[in-house]
Amino acid sequence: MADKYTDFTLQELMAVAAAREIKDGEKVIIGTGLPLIGAFLAQKTHAPNIVAIYESGAIDCKPIFTPFSVADPVLVPGAAMQGGLVEGLGVVHAGDLDVGFLGGAQIDKYGNLNAHVIGDYRNPKVRFAGSGGSNDIGAGCKRTIVMMLHQKQRFSEKVDFVTTPGYLGGGKEREKMGFPGGGPSVVVSTMAILRFHPETKEMYLASYHPGLTVEDVKANTGWDLKVASDVKETERPAPELIRILREELDPTGIFLKKK
Amino acid sequence: MKVSKVMTAKEAVAKFIGDGMTVLVGGFFHSIAYDITHEILRQKKKHLTICTPSFNEHADQMIGSGCVDRIVSSYVWMEVFGPLYSFRRAMEKGIPHKIEMEDYTNFSMMARLVAGALGIPYVPVHSLKGSDMMKYSAWMGDNKVKLMKDPFGSGVEHAVVPALNPDIGYIHAQRADEEGNIQMWGIMGDAPFSMRACKQVIVSVEEIVSREVIGRDPNRTIMPAYKVVAVVESPYGSHPKNAQGYYNVDRDFIFKYIQESRTEEGWKKFMDEWVYGVADRTEYLKKYIDTFGMKKFMSLKAKDMSSGSVNYGF
Repeated sequence: MADKYTDFTLQELMAVAAAREIKDGEKVIIGTGLPLIGAFLAQKTHAPNIVAIYESGAIDCKPIFTPFSVADPVLVPGAAMQGGLVEGLGVVHAGDLDVGFLGGAQIDKYGNLNAHVIGDYRNPKVRFAGSGGSNDIGAGCKRTIVMMLHQKQRFSEKVDFVTTPGYLGGGKEREKMGFPGGGPSVVVSTMAILRFHPETKEMYLASYHPGLTVEDVKANTGWDLKVASDVKETERPAPELIRILREELDPTGIFLKKK
Repeated sequence: MKVSKVMTAKEAVAKFIGDGMTVLVGGFFHSIAYDITHEILRQKKKHLTICTPSFNEHADQMIGSGCVDRIVSSYVWMEVFGPLYSFRRAMEKGIPHKIEMEDYTNFSMMARLVAGALGIPYVPVHSLKGSDMMKYSAWMGDNKVKLMKDPFGSGVEHAVVPALNPDIGYIHAQRADEEGNIQMWGIMGDAPFSMRACKQVIVSVEEIVSREVIGRDPNRTIMPAYKVVAVVESPYGSHPKNAQGYYNVDRDFIFKYIQESRTEEGWKKFMDEWVYGVADRTEYLKKYIDTFGMKKFMSLKAKDMSSGSVNYGF
């Protein structure tokens, strides 16, 4: 493999890390941006039999180009079924799906996500998009993969607004709510891979990205982040995966913005 | 008995969209009737409550123009293309005036519309529960969403949302007949239930076809004509969004809008040029071709990926 694929960007590393979280044969609801690239990479490599679902109603899609949007018309030809939101999110609400992707402006130590505001909800300093399908995916999917920009104000002791509940106050709090879905299983951030303690449901550091240290990650987290006893460096992406990302999935560099 | 409801966008908006109405704006990142939206802006409608599961730049244009007082939705943004600045200016700074929003989720909005379409008064959902959308509401107060213990004894408390029946809705579809039997294919998004929930519907279409064409493939019909009050023939009426089988999304134009709308001045210039400065969709398309060239315009045209037909014989 040529040397040009041994070097990788942070976004490429994250896309590869997201892809690793998907198992073959799983039913996955896919958003846009990095999650979409991650899911496509999984489909092109170790998980060719995933069922790719979009909330716009496209089910088991095999698009010939990377879609720009969850409602991109390229999703339609070749799909196994084409409906609308009732079908696309209906299967989520029914608890049929294995994996969903989430993101947001803020996350707390129990994986609760904010996609609404920074500041006061009624007089926001910054207003974001809102839930879209995020809250529905968080409630319905068996597990969710969260992708986040890792900054202290984004990894916050308390989020300004709970858009999508993670484990709420931790422990058995989520279980008591009776959601069909199980909650976040992993956070893929720009600095690290973080997972959740099976009992307390508190987020902990599982691996830090190449070039960073445990201290770097802790310094950029808004609470006293727990660290796994076997913490290690995040696995570096294989050159072949980088080649697929650049040449097949994002040839124009719109999702994996060039540095 | 069969009455033609064919009219221009100008006539449809003047006749059926009144100040203060609750309007369902159909389309989910696609099939958005920009022709009708722009006509609403040119006619300076006021105090509208706009609703749909997810909104894009069309809502941004309506908010910036000051015709919207209230939004019922889950999302106002344009995915990877970027934020919607008029929406942010209104929510953060009250420009051009303060607006209120009832925040739902995509599915719970859809559940409200399905309930509305089917005459079900309210519906329990797994969504919303445990989120701050349960705590905060705007003008709907306690009637935005309630918690209700499962009456069938599971012990679970569910979020319950009320049916939504907007005064009027509008959407862009591929075709309809003169009476208003609407056919749509490709991504359905909020359709068909969003339209079926409305008391009245305006549809703009790529083509008006005969009742006989509709009857040859009735599974394709998203709603029958009786609630449809106006049929507007409007080729490229969804531009810069797409109509499956007719034209693709114009990504460059969407980026252009988002870039130019970063400042209030830039936004005004865009709107003066592309909305207020043209009389109707025909002039808009002419301006598009004059500005970007016929080659660019033709590049949006959809490839032929026609399906086979099915046998409805008996």
